[in-house]
Amino acid sequence: MTNSMSNVKMVSEIIENSYKVLKKEVISQYQVSFEVNKDDVHSILTLLKTSGWIQLSYLSAIDWPEENEFELVYIVFNWDKAVHIQIRTRLNRENPVMNSILPIFPGCKYYERETHEFFGIKFPGNPGHEKQLILEEWDDIPPLRKDFDPRAYSDRKFVKREYSNDFVNLNGEKSKQIAREERKEKIIKVRKGGRK
Amino acid sequence: MLSTKFTKLSKEEVDRKWWEIGDFFRRNSLWMLMYCTGCCAIELPPAMTSAYDMERLGMGPMATPRQADVLLVTGYLSLKTLRRLIYTYEQMSEPKYVVGIGSCTINGGIYHDSHAVINQLNRYVPVDVYVAGCMPNTEAVMNGFVDLMGLIKTKKANGWKDYHARNEWYMANQKAALGEVKVHDEFHE
Ligand code: SF4
Repeated sequence: MTNSMSNVKMVSEIIENSYKVLKKEVISQYQVSFEVNKDDVHSILTLLKTSGWIQLSYLSAIDWPEENEFELVYIVFNWDKAVHIQIRTRLNRENPVMNSILPIFPGCKYYERETHEFFGIKFPGNPGHEKQLILEEWDDIPPLRKDFDPRAYSDRKFVKREYSNDFVNLNGEKSKQIAREERKEKIIKVRKGGRK
Repeated sequence: MLSTKFTKLSKEEVDRKWWEIGDFFRRNSLWMLMYCTGCCAIELPPAMTSAYDMERLGMGPMATPRQADVLLVTGYLSLKTLRRLIYTYEQMSEPKYVVGIGSCTINGGIYHDSHAVINQLNRYVPVDVYVAGCMPNTEAVMNGFVDLMGLIKTKKANGWKDYHARNEWYMANQKAALGEVKVHDEFHE
């Protein structure tokens, strides 16, 4: 049995020996992140899958508008060694395309669909990735891009409720509080037989 | 002296009396379809179980829209859910009532500026009772049900009639928000 820190070391050795790592970050003893070149992602994920990281637990993207880039994050998970590995890579924001990892992790099917829907990244190789998944009939730019303004969209699309006063009593009823107190008084009065 | 002679009632009178009888039984035995969309749904378990026990009001949960009287909408509705909610609402048999729980159904609540969540439920389906609060406490929820019973008794719970009367308006609102109400996904095609 190995302990977790040496697990991280072992992972780093596996990856750094054969691939160029642009940035490495050890987040905790259970999590480590590697930023790699776009072209290496598939072979790294294949390597990790054969070394025990058999589950893709998440795939999503981050928008970096200042750098004009999208960052894709793949998180893989091992059931025997307690290390989550994040593989990150950067894509051009103008024409974001990343080959699908469907042959490696079939479970990426819906993650890629989701990422396409929320960021507009294309995944050739995943047949249905352009179908709608969560947002149905979406009619604007992908909503998790930083240049999308949710408030403007909401103002345009959903009518806001207008309030003329802070508080409106629609049917002119007396307040429940007053009614309750009156009822209580009445009960006490009846209980005492009308006496004070 | 009062006449004992039988006077024939007009059809409207008879209908009205039958409706009153029907309403009496309906309001004392309400079956709810819980459309638990948002976090407000967490108030329903205490309302249903021994803590507040809504069965003493004659209310119970129902699994299918076709046999339910009340549609409970608990919290925010995304566009995707709204589409299914309209399907569900239209499947319910009449008379049907809608209770909107939480400020999300009233004015969008804390999601008022979200791209995914509608702001006013009563633009898309008619709502009879709103329970305000984020989330409303269980007493308020129970109070909302009692209010609904009162409204049925005084014949004010007329949302479903309104849905017929102003159907175009509701349809237009649904269209404006959803594009098309029909569901297009893997499971419906
Ligand atoms: S009103 Fe508040 S508690 Fe209820 S669904 Fe909305 S955010 Fe959640």
